[in-house]
Amino acid sequence: MSTSVPFRVHIAASVIIAAALPFLVPSTVLATEILIFGMAVIGCNLLLGYTGLLSFGQALFFGAGAYIASLTAIHWEIGLIPVLLLTILAGAILAAIVGYLAIRRQGIYFVMLTLAFGQLGYYIAFLAEEITGGEDGLLDVPRPPLELPLLPDMTFANDASFYGLTAVIFVLCFLMMQRLVDSPLGSVLKAIRQNEKRAEAIGYQVRLYKIAVFAFSGAITALAGGLYAMMLNFAPLSNIDIETSEQILFMAVLGGLGSLYGSVIGAGVFLVASDFFSELWPRWMLLLGLFLVVVMMFAPGGLWHGLVVGFERLRGRHKTSTEENDHG
Amino acid sequence: MLTKGKMIVAAASALMITSGVATAAELTIYNVASVSGAFANFGKQAEKGVKLAIEAKGKAAGMDLKMVTVDTESNAGKAARKVKAVIGKDDAKFFIGSTLSSTALAVGKEVNKAGGIYINGSGADEITGKQCNKSMFRWSAPTYGAVNASLTTVLDRNPNIKTVYTITPKYVFGEAMLENAKILLEKRGIKLVGNSYHSLKESEFSGYIGQAMAAKPDLLLLLNFGSLATNTIQQAVNFGLKDKMKILLVWSNGIDHLRTLGPKISEGIYFGSQYWHDEEAPANKEFVALSRKMFGETPNYPMAHYYQMTKLMLDAIDKVGTDPVKIRAHLEGLSYAGITGDEMIRAEDHQVEKYFYLLEGKAKADMNDDDDLAATLSKKKYFLPTSETGCVLG
Repeated sequence: MSTSVPFRVHIAASVIIAAALPFLVPSTVLATEILIFGMAVIGCNLLLGYTGLLSFGQALFFGAGAYIASLTAIHWEIGLIPVLLLTILAGAILAAIVGYLAIRRQGIYFVMLTLAFGQLGYYIAFLAEEITGGEDGLLDVPRPPLELPLLPDMTFANDASFYGLTAVIFVLCFLMMQRLVDSPLGSVLKAIRQNEKRAEAIGYQVRLYKIAVFAFSGAITALAGGLYAMMLNFAPLSNIDIETSEQILFMAVLGGLGSLYGSVIGAGVFLVASDFFSELWPRWMLLLGLFLVVVMMFAPGGLWHGLVVGFERLRGRHKTSTEENDHG
Repeated sequence: MLTKGKMIVAAASALMITSGVATAAELTIYNVASVSGAFANFGKQAEKGVKLAIEAKGKAAGMDLKMVTVDTESNAGKAARKVKAVIGKDDAKFFIGSTLSSTALAVGKEVNKAGGIYINGSGADEITGKQCNKSMFRWSAPTYGAVNASLTTVLDRNPNIKTVYTITPKYVFGEAMLENAKILLEKRGIKLVGNSYHSLKESEFSGYIGQAMAAKPDLLLLLNFGSLATNTIQQAVNFGLKDKMKILLVWSNGIDHLRTLGPKISEGIYFGSQYWHDEEAPANKEFVALSRKMFGETPNYPMAHYYQMTKLMLDAIDKVGTDPVKIRAHLEGLSYAGITGDEMIRAEDHQVEKYFYLLEGKAKADMNDDDDLAATLSKKKYFLPTSETGCVLG
C-alpha cells in the first residue's frame, strides 16, 4: 500500500489480519507463530526493503531477544511489560552496535560482516551454556502476567490467550512501523535505498540514519524473539542460528520487499507452506525453493506486489469494460 | 431430479455412513521424528518402525490405529511448536520418539503439561534424571549405560590401553557421555590425554583427528553419533589412526553405521549399539521377520527402537484403555519380553532397563551375508541406581 492510504485503513487492515488469522490456519499456535515471524520480517524489511541493507544477522537479534526475555522472565518476577521493554531495549542497543560496525563497509563486505556477527552470536550462545542452556536451550520459560494499574493481573497460560496478547502487540508494532515508513524518516530511508550518494549529497547523515534503522529493526526483531520463546516456553539455540536469518530473509523476499503487508504475507505463506510441504516430502525445502522461483518469475516484487498488480489489472479491465458499456 | 425412493436410499446411506464414522473409533499415535533436516534419514527409518508396530498390532482397545508424524525438522523449536499445535488442535495424548535429546526435553515438557504419555529413545541422562516427569518414559539405555557397557568390555579385552582421547559433540548428550567416560576411566586408572569438542553442525573433523594423533592415545573414544560419527570414523581411518590405536564409537546406529562405512573401514572398530538384529530373543526374531516381510530389509536401530516404543504404548492401551493415568500406572514397574530380551520399566524414573551391545566390525572375508557386518562381543545392562538419578517425577 502506498503512503497515500489513510492511516485508519492500516488500523482496520492490521486488526482484520490479527482477528482472522486463527480461522485461516490449522492451529492457534501456528497463527501465533505467523504474527511473531511477521514482526521479525518487518524488522528485516525495514533494513532490506526500505533502506537496501541486506542483513544475514537477523537471527542475532531474534535469538538475543529470546534469551533476554527468557532470562528476565525466569529469574526476575517483574511482569510482562518490563520484560518486553528490556527485550526491545537490548535488541535496539545490540543492533545499533552491529549496525555501527557493519555499515563501515558496503556491498558484499557489509553482508559478510552481518553474517559474521550472526555467527559470533551463535557461538557465544552455544558456548555460554550456563546462561543460555547451550544446545539444549532454555527450558521452562514462563509467560509473565500483564500487570496494569487498577486492573487484575492478566495471565496467558493457554494458547488462545497468548494469541490475543501477540495479536495486540502485533497490531501496535505494525502500526508504529507503518507510521515510521510513512514519516519523513521513512522517505529518507527510501532515498538511501534508491541512491545513497545523492541522499548524502543533499545533506542527510546517511550513517546515522542507517544506525537508527538498524536499532528499529533490532528492537522489533528482538521483541519477536522474546514472544517466540514465551510461546514455546522454551528458547532453543536454533533461534540464533544462521538458518533463522535465512528463513526471515526468505519470508521477506517471498512476501515482497518494501511493504509491511508483504512481510506478514511472506511469514504466513512460508510457515503454512513449510508445514504442508514437510508432510509431503523430506526434502521439502526444495519444493519451497521452487515455489520461490515461481513467485519470483511471475511476481518479481513478491506475493504482495503480485496481488496489488493483479488487483489493479482487474480494476483496470473492469473500468475499461464499464466505460465501453457506458459508451455502447 | 431424485425420485422419492432414491432419496430414501440416499438418506439411509448417508445415515449409515455417518453412523459408521461416529462409531469407528480411531487411536492416533504421534510419531515425533526428524523426517526432514539434518537427521532426515534417521526419521524415515523411525517412521517405518512405528508403521511396523501399528501393522503388527492391527487394533488396540478395539480401535483402529493411525500414525501422524510430527516432523521436527531436526530443530527443537519447531518440534515444540508442532507438538504444542497438535495438542491444542487434536487433544493429542500419545507421543513416540525424538532424534535429539534437546527435542525430547522440550517435547516432554509439553506432553506432561497436556497430561499425555511420551515414550522416547533419546540419550541424555536428564530425561530420566533431573528433567524427568511423570509423562515421559525412555526406552534406550542412557549415556551412563552406553558408556559403561561398551567401554568396560573394550578395556577388559585390551588391558594394554592406558591412555584415551575423546571427541565429543558440544551439547547435553555429548557432555553426559564425556562425564560418564571420565568417571569410568578414572576408576580404571586410565589417563584421558585430551578431548576435542565439536558442534552439531560440524562435518570436517580432520583438525580434531590431528589433535588426537598428536596426543598418541591407545584408544580413540568417539562420543558423537549419526553422520557426525560416520564422518569422524572415515576421516580417522583415512589418517591411518586405525593402525595406531583402538577406536570405539560408543553410540552407533548399529547396522546403519556398519553399512555406510563398509567392512574395509569398520573392520576391527568397536561399536556400541542399543540394538543388534542378530539378538536371539523371540520378540526380536518376530520383529526381524516382520521387517523383512514388510520392507524387505533387516531392521536398524531407529526402526527397532521406534517399533519397540510404539509396541509398548499400544500394548498398554490395549490392556488398560486410553486413560493416560492408567497407562502410566500400568507401565511403571512393567516387565516384558522386548527386542533385546527381558526388559523392565523402572517405576521411580521411567527408565527401561534393557541390554546394550558391543560389536566389532568384521572383515569382508568373515561375513556370512550382507548383514553380518559385526560380531557381538557383549550385551550388558548398566543403569544408575534410582537413588542417584536425581529424578523426582512431577
